[in-house]
Amino acid sequence: MSVATASGYLESLLQGRAQLPISPLAWLNRLRAEAVERVGALRVPTTHDEDWRFTDISSLTKLPFQPVHAASPLQTAEAERFYLEPATIRLVFVDGMYAPQLSTQVPGAAGDSGIVVTHLSAAVSAHATTLESHLGRHAEFCNNAFTALNTAFLHDGALIIVPRDVAVDMPVHLLFIATQKEAASYPRCLLIAESGSAVTVIEDYVALQQGVYVTNAVTEIALADNAHVNHIRVQRDSGQAFHIADCAVSLARASRYQSTSIALGARISRYNLNVQLAGEGAECAVDGLALITERQLADTHTCIDHIKPHGSSRQLHKCIVDGAAHAVFNGKIMVRPGAQLTDSVQSSRNLLLSGRAHVDTKPQLEIFADDVKCAHGATVGQLDSEEVFYLKSRGLSEMTARNLLTYAFGAEIIERIPVSSLRHRLKQTVLEHTQRN
Amino acid sequence: MSAVLQNLVNQPYKHGFVTEIESDVAPKGLSENTIRMISAKKNEPEWLLEFRLKAYQQWLTMEEPQWPNVKYPKIDFQAISYYSAPKPRKKLGSMDEVDPELLRTFEKLGVPMHERAALAGVAVDVIFDSVSVATTYKQKLAEVGIIFGSISEAVHTHPDLVKQYLGTVVPVGDNFYATLNSAVFTDGSFCFIPKGVKCPMDLSTYFRINTEASGQFERTLIIAEEGASVSYLEGCTAPRFDTNQLHAAVVELVALDNADIKYSTVQNWYAGDENGVGGIFNFVTKRGLAKGVNSRISWTQVETGSAITWKYPSCVLQGDNSVGEFYSVAVTNHHQQADTGTKMIHIGKNTRSTIVSKGISAGHSNNSYRGLVRIAPTAAGARNYSQCDSMLVGDQCSASTFPYIQVRNNSAIVEHEASTSKIGEDQLFYFAQRGIGGEEAVSMIINGFCKDVFQQLPMEFAVEATKLLGLKLEGSVG
Repeated sequence: MSVATASGYLESLLQGRAQLPISPLAWLNRLRAEAVERVGALRVPTTHDEDWRFTDISSLTKLPFQPVHAASPLQTAEAERFYLEPATIRLVFVDGMYAPQLSTQVPGAAGDSGIVVTHLSAAVSAHATTLESHLGRHAEFCNNAFTALNTAFLHDGALIIVPRDVAVDMPVHLLFIATQKEAASYPRCLLIAESGSAVTVIEDYVALQQGVYVTNAVTEIALADNAHVNHIRVQRDSGQAFHIADCAVSLARASRYQSTSIALGARISRYNLNVQLAGEGAECAVDGLALITERQLADTHTCIDHIKPHGSSRQLHKCIVDGAAHAVFNGKIMVRPGAQLTDSVQSSRNLLLSGRAHVDTKPQLEIFADDVKCAHGATVGQLDSEEVFYLKSRGLSEMTARNLLTYAFGAEIIERIPVSSLRHRLKQTVLEHTQRN
Repeated sequence: MSAVLQNLVNQPYKHGFVTEIESDVAPKGLSENTIRMISAKKNEPEWLLEFRLKAYQQWLTMEEPQWPNVKYPKIDFQAISYYSAPKPRKKLGSMDEVDPELLRTFEKLGVPMHERAALAGVAVDVIFDSVSVATTYKQKLAEVGIIFGSISEAVHTHPDLVKQYLGTVVPVGDNFYATLNSAVFTDGSFCFIPKGVKCPMDLSTYFRINTEASGQFERTLIIAEEGASVSYLEGCTAPRFDTNQLHAAVVELVALDNADIKYSTVQNWYAGDENGVGGIFNFVTKRGLAKGVNSRISWTQVETGSAITWKYPSCVLQGDNSVGEFYSVAVTNHHQQADTGTKMIHIGKNTRSTIVSKGISAGHSNNSYRGLVRIAPTAAGARNYSQCDSMLVGDQCSASTFPYIQVRNNSAIVEHEASTSKIGEDQLFYFAQRGIGGEEAVSMIINGFCKDVFQQLPMEFAVEATKLLGLKLEGSVG
């Protein structure tokens, strides 16, 4: 793939932009124009780029994806199976477009607290200043063609604002349903947790049917002082789809960010997570699980950036790789000069279930301060034969023992999800996956 | 070319080393003619000239690697002289003529008296009959059939062996600096251990008087035949001053069935002054091929010198059950930069590798570990364990870890762990409580930190390396 055709590809993707409504906000139009310019200057990354070394997306550029402009008239009956129980505050986007008929209003009790859960275009006038200081300010698109593309198409998306000192018990469910083939959707989320607030958000990507499409999602999360955000991200796209996502999180003083991302679907998926601990004493726990098989590729790149002192971070990333699937993990921990007393632990665990499965993992430390505690570890292997033997000695068959251990390996991450219905559903998925063999 | 480099190249010999070879230096610049000239001067056979020219043609198409985590001014490869005849040093009459600074260093390191003289360039026979020592060693080695000498000598005396193995482990077009080396290498060591022979002593360049000043593009080739074993020591703990800023050496090791090669390095090239001015750029390609079954290649390195170290001693574990080991201590101080680590390429079944890397950075230095563990689909039952620890002394330095783990076989087990720590106030307090002062306490803590690696060094080296570390970090704590 030559660079010329690749950049031509990005431009061809931009064509659909003409139909975008012009925003009443001048700065938003400017932001989009900047992004369009960046798309023009950047090219589709290839395996010669260090960041994309193990993830070959040339197959993506062979397909003519076009953006979706009309929301599909999806009925409740079709979407219902993706809803979570008990009740959640739900925003539904179909192919990236807001679907009011499927979304719920903030219920009375939570509504009184002042929490805003809406789609961006509805919030343009009411929250213009808040939007201006956050939207597009956290997710850098200078060197990321896909984030630039998403920003170029930015006109709607999910917006959550949790006011000061408000703790919302009910989780917010952001459901992104893909319905069309050969379509490109550009979901966008912005979550602002004001000081002392607490919220749980589930970002959920699902497909109505099998098919090739591309999801290019960008999420921005800003935590003010002492805020607490629990962010769960589930990617259950179609097995032929491409899923490229970028999530940027900024933490102020003593705030806490917990993230659990689960990758199950997509032929090729790539998730970039950048967490900036920009305030003193900020904490983050970043966990991930990729469960892939056949010819799937799941790539997770995380960067935890300790900028201020007394920060702490914990990361556990697990991959269960079956068939001829390929898991990639690149986890960078950065400790900037002056970020003394940082405490950081990172761990990458990989389970290879088949002879053709493979893993590329690169935990990475870059440390510029001396008084820190940083450690990372990585393991790649198969199930421990002694553990299998132990279970067999208790009367389990070889197959049952193996399935149980594989399930337990994945369940460690899923257990960390605070929403019981989702936890249950995901465990079921892992169980089905292990029993398929 | 930067002024820094100019100064360094033009700098007169320090410390009593006098050179009288100005007349026998090739003009600056690199072209096909330079290579033909080098080859002609060394009276090389046609095949070696072809080898060099092929490398040169490839080199022209290559670009300098940008990925290492080091910064330096651009090197002008046309401003370097690629050949100078071996430099005969002016022999000093006695130890009194030696630079006192150098003597102070020897004293601190505890270098034996007779060695000090040899290192300082005092005519050895004046002080100690080390020439005869070297000759005795050579005789002893020849008795068991070991060939040990300079590579340019071996090209003439054992052309078949050199031709058979040269460039098989580090191919001509391997990387930018290795290719440059293949084109212009001047000298280095050649060592051949025949079938079934256990080398009766540790081989060291130190006793190889004939190739004392082997120049900036060194080429080493070590071959251990079936069942042979050898331990090879390179470098020495005493500081070495050199006028060449760029060093691009290549080391190739070949181990056949059941052979065992242990390669230890202590590197203490000139690191530049406190402000980061001057110092050697050390861009080295070292690779061992564990070709036969049950073969073993072990690298041990103590890297303390050079302004920039760029070095990844690697093992290609091709034979079934072969073993690769890498033990490293890298110390950087002031403005030094080190990007070093290893590559373990598992190809054969049940291959095993161990990586233990300890990085210490102080001052404004930058110390990176970069490693690759690759398990090929054929490497059933492969096993790797890696541990890389960093220690930071002061808040102006940095330590980075870039381990690449690529696994293509599900019966392999790969483990990697890394940690970063500092010398804690409480640790120093504990020592103080026991009546041990700051400097000494730091030295003890650091030696404890590096113990796993020092244990792998031959005994004399280990003792000197311990002291070297203390000397290196002198004044950086407290």
